[in-house]
Amino acid sequence: MAAADSPSAALQRRDLCSRGIRLAGKMRADVVDLLDTYVERQGLDASASVAAVEGVPSAAVERWDEQTGTQRLLENLAAYRAFRALLAQMLEEQREQLGDADAALGRALAAVLLQVSAFAYHLEELLRLESRGIPGEEGAGPPPPPRLSLFEQKLRGLGVLRELAQWAVRSARDLRQLAKPSPAAGSAPGLAESP
Amino acid sequence: MFSRWNWVAYGFYLLLNICSPEASGGLVQSCGHIIPESPVLALGSNFTALCILNESCLDFGNIYANQIIWKIKNRLVPKEQYREINRTVSSVTFNDTSSLATPLTCNILADGQIEQNIYGITVTVGLAPEKPKNLSCIVHQMSRFRYPMTCTWNPGRHTFLDTQFRLRYSWPQETFPDCIPKDVNNSCTIPDVQFFVNTEIWVEAANALGKAESDPLVLDPVDIVKPLPPHNFSVSSGILPTVLKLSWENRISDTVMKLKFNIRYRIVGDRNWMEIPSEDTASPRTSFSVQGLRPSTEYVFSIRCMKEDGVGYWSDWSEEKTGITTEDKPSKGPPIWRIIDASHSPASWTVHLMWKALKPFESNGVILQYEVTVRDKSSLSSPLKKYNVTSTNCTLQLPNGTYEVTVVARNRVGASPPSVLLIPASNSKAPVKNLRTLPKHDKLWVGWTAPNGYVLKYVIEWCLVSSSSDCIIEWQIALGDVQGIDLKGIKPFKCYLITVYPLYADGQGSGQSVKAYLKQDRPSKGPTVQTKKVGKAEAVLTWNHLTVDEQNGFIRNYTILYKTIDGNETVVTVDPSKTEYTLSSLTSDTLYTVRMMASTDNGSRSGPDFTFTTQKFGKGEIEAIVVPVCLAFLLIVLLGVLFCFNKRDLIKKHIWPIVPDPSKSNIAQWSPQVPAKHNFNSKDQMYPEGSFTDVSVVEIEADDKKSFSEQDLKPFDLLKKEKSTSEGHSSGIGGSSCMSSPRQSVSDSDEGETTQNTSSTVQYSTVVLNGYRDQTPVQVFSRSESTQPLLDSEERSEDHAGGGDSTAQRQQYFRQNGGQDKTNTDRPCFERTKQITHASEGHLVGFVQLQISGQSSQPLGLGMEKNTQEAALSNVLQTSTEGQTVRPETVEENPLSVDEMPKSYLPQTVRRGGYMPQ
Repeated sequence: MAAADSPSAALQRRDLCSRGIRLAGKMRADVVDLLDTYVERQGLDASASVAAVEGVPSAAVERWDEQTGTQRLLENLAAYRAFRALLAQMLEEQREQLGDADAALGRALAAVLLQVSAFAYHLEELLRLESRGIPGEEGAGPPPPPRLSLFEQKLRGLGVLRELAQWAVRSARDLRQLAKPSPAAGSAPGLAESP
Repeated sequence: MFSRWNWVAYGFYLLLNICSPEASGGLVQSCGHIIPESPVLALGSNFTALCILNESCLDFGNIYANQIIWKIKNRLVPKEQYREINRTVSSVTFNDTSSLATPLTCNILADGQIEQNIYGITVTVGLAPEKPKNLSCIVHQMSRFRYPMTCTWNPGRHTFLDTQFRLRYSWPQETFPDCIPKDVNNSCTIPDVQFFVNTEIWVEAANALGKAESDPLVLDPVDIVKPLPPHNFSVSSGILPTVLKLSWENRISDTVMKLKFNIRYRIVGDRNWMEIPSEDTASPRTSFSVQGLRPSTEYVFSIRCMKEDGVGYWSDWSEEKTGITTEDKPSKGPPIWRIIDASHSPASWTVHLMWKALKPFESNGVILQYEVTVRDKSSLSSPLKKYNVTSTNCTLQLPNGTYEVTVVARNRVGASPPSVLLIPASNSKAPVKNLRTLPKHDKLWVGWTAPNGYVLKYVIEWCLVSSSSDCIIEWQIALGDVQGIDLKGIKPFKCYLITVYPLYADGQGSGQSVKAYLKQDRPSKGPTVQTKKVGKAEAVLTWNHLTVDEQNGFIRNYTILYKTIDGNETVVTVDPSKTEYTLSSLTSDTLYTVRMMASTDNGSRSGPDFTFTTQKFGKGEIEAIVVPVCLAFLLIVLLGVLFCFNKRDLIKKHIWPIVPDPSKSNIAQWSPQVPAKHNFNSKDQMYPEGSFTDVSVVEIEADDKKSFSEQDLKPFDLLKKEKSTSEGHSSGIGGSSCMSSPRQSVSDSDEGETTQNTSSTVQYSTVVLNGYRDQTPVQVFSRSESTQPLLDSEERSEDHAGGGDSTAQRQQYFRQNGGQDKTNTDRPCFERTKQITHASEGHLVGFVQLQISGQSSQPLGLGMEKNTQEAALSNVLQTSTEGQTVRPETVEENPLSVDEMPKSYLPQTVRRGGYMPQ
């Protein structure tokens, strides 16, 4: 906590939050663009509803405003680690399916993957500033995906991107909440309860 | 013997070892090798190499380490650098690898003399890479989604080795592929970067001698972005005439970065850009309204952007777009001035009103027309006169007076404020003072001192003064608080006449003028000089002024340079106002070359050479010589005349001796028979009027008491003899006596010559007749019939001199004789004769010489009975006329008449004092 209280730590946290917010915003914009490209290239219907994808954390949460900062960071970190794994799998599948024929989609997926990784890094840094241990990646990672058909893969990819877009919005809001100068909120009892 | 064979076998073995291929690799089996094999060495370090001989060579060839020699290329390494480690190993050490070269060879001296190569290595010398410095990166936005990052660094010194540079970047948990530069060693571009994550960037350099890393650069790539400029930039007119609206699209989303902008603009045709204040465009936007622009003006706009927080780089300027503001009414009235021409009529003026077109920022649109209003101030009741003009001048005929002229410019939107000009009756107000000019680069500054009194404004007129064109007036208005303006458009080397008028509220001041040049040059030609008058020691030179077009500046002076052909040049400076100069102290009768130079402040130019020669004599010199000479001559002549006059007697004695009067001779008493019908009794009869052309009259001074000496008479004797012999005309009575008494002979026609002839030929009397109307003149002789000896005659003449009757008679007939009686009745006749003689003097072609003796002369020229004489002469003349040519022979052919002649000499008659016609 001492580190969090120091001016440099506060500055760093604010910088991280600010940067994370903008990254989330860019990530959402890129994911939205990617969704259009993805739907088009994969031959999907943009209005197709996709059921909840297994392994994809949901951005929706009840009593969002009651969450502590650490809780928010941990949930975000878990989600983005999952997204990272899912996007990496999507990228691999996309390369397997299309090869280098659709390099633009592959580049866009890779760019979003990088952004997801970057955001996860931001979250880890924020957690580090909060003097919180960073949970191991193995535990937080999604289970190995079952073998799916090609269509199912496409639909899952659509679901992943849609959920990622949702998470980008939520993450921006979470980080704005964290960036507010309310140290009391940062030291909420919920933090101690978080794993 | 054995030893010799042993050496031969050794050499052969050695050759086999070196040259024969090995069975395994087919390569030469070496007797040794060098350690290290092809090393890469740091420049300047020390280096030791070992040459290790094979044992087999030792056994068979007796080769040992002490026989090894080292070579760099073909150069022997000094043996001080060798060291024999054991009998098969030799080392060589170099303290500085810079002395090394490739190859480094290990050799042996076989049998002490034959050099054989054992092994060689390639040595590479270089440097380890330096730490790359000054690493910097920039992200160039290439499209909406592409953000390649280019990093550059300083690679450091040249290593002489193959050195690899690689740009590395990573996140804490993510390492990205290295960026390896192509063809360069100081920059590399990462094709895509992720924003909002701190990225560590560094450069690695590596070669055979080592590896070096630059200091890492940790940054968020979004902070080093140089975005693309906004696109779809457009300019549109607003409602207000001073506003233009700009709009554009940004090519970077707000989620990536928020932008701020710079907007610059300029008027078309103007080079200078103006910028919208940065604080007005510091927030993200896609449009902006530019205010405070000039109406009806075309502007050029351009925009650029960068990250809102100012971290990063400005984009390039966007493409330029133009827009025109809408019109507004003119902001001010046109400057107005006039030229008043009062030369046509004394009672009215021709007023040329002229005004300047408004500048674009004043007209605020297209001026459609000018409205001119003229108000007569002297008469309040007179109506306003209005004129609508589309040009910028107007000519009015106005009676003398004071007028207020108003000009308004009108465009599509409205009218300008009026410009008012007062046209006064006279320019009686105070003028400006101390008017002066000063060239300033390409402008001519005109300054003045304000007159006392409040001046509304000044009007500055100027025009180019030229001899080839009229002075076209240009003008400009300056505010009343300035005391100098710059005139633009002034040409160098041209003369300008500048006039400044102060304008007061109630009139205008008189103009002050000055001539000025923006820049002066030397005249384009020199003056042509010529002489007006050349004297003995002076010459008056004249020339014409250069025209103003030729002057190129103010003529400060003229310089006259003159010299003789071989003399020094003399220089005279002349005031520029003069056109004449007198050169003095010149040498007479000398050729001079003169030329003239006109000088301005910036140089001179000479005119053509002119030559002239001074006169030999000065003015009046000739007169001064000639006049005295003439005077002296005249004086001498006068003296001579006086002398002659004084000595006339003596001269007469020698030149003109006195001829004794035969009538006074003794023989005069003898009276021959003279026929009464003598032909010579009348001159008029003998020669009709006008037929006398020459008459010589022998004046016989009967009463001359002076006796002639015999000497005096000798010539006459000679002549008498000659006459009597040659012509044979002498009378039978006494040829000698008739020629003895001539004393004086006067000929009016040929005075001197005749006088001489007379004196030389001693003829008593000669009558010269000219031919009458192309007829051959008749020569008539009258011969003295006297046979009186001369001495007797003289004696008698002296006796007769005392006789008053004789004297009186002679004086009556001979005008020249003493002039005692000029009232002789024969005088008119004589004078007429003389006149005729004079008149026909030039027509003397042939003449008849009439010799008349003292007696016979009487019937010719004299006669108391004039009528009788005339009748006699008429007969003679008739004879002459009838015969066409009357020759002396005619007289001879008529001896009767000659014989009759003595009949006229009657002693009684003579006694009575004259010839009497019978």
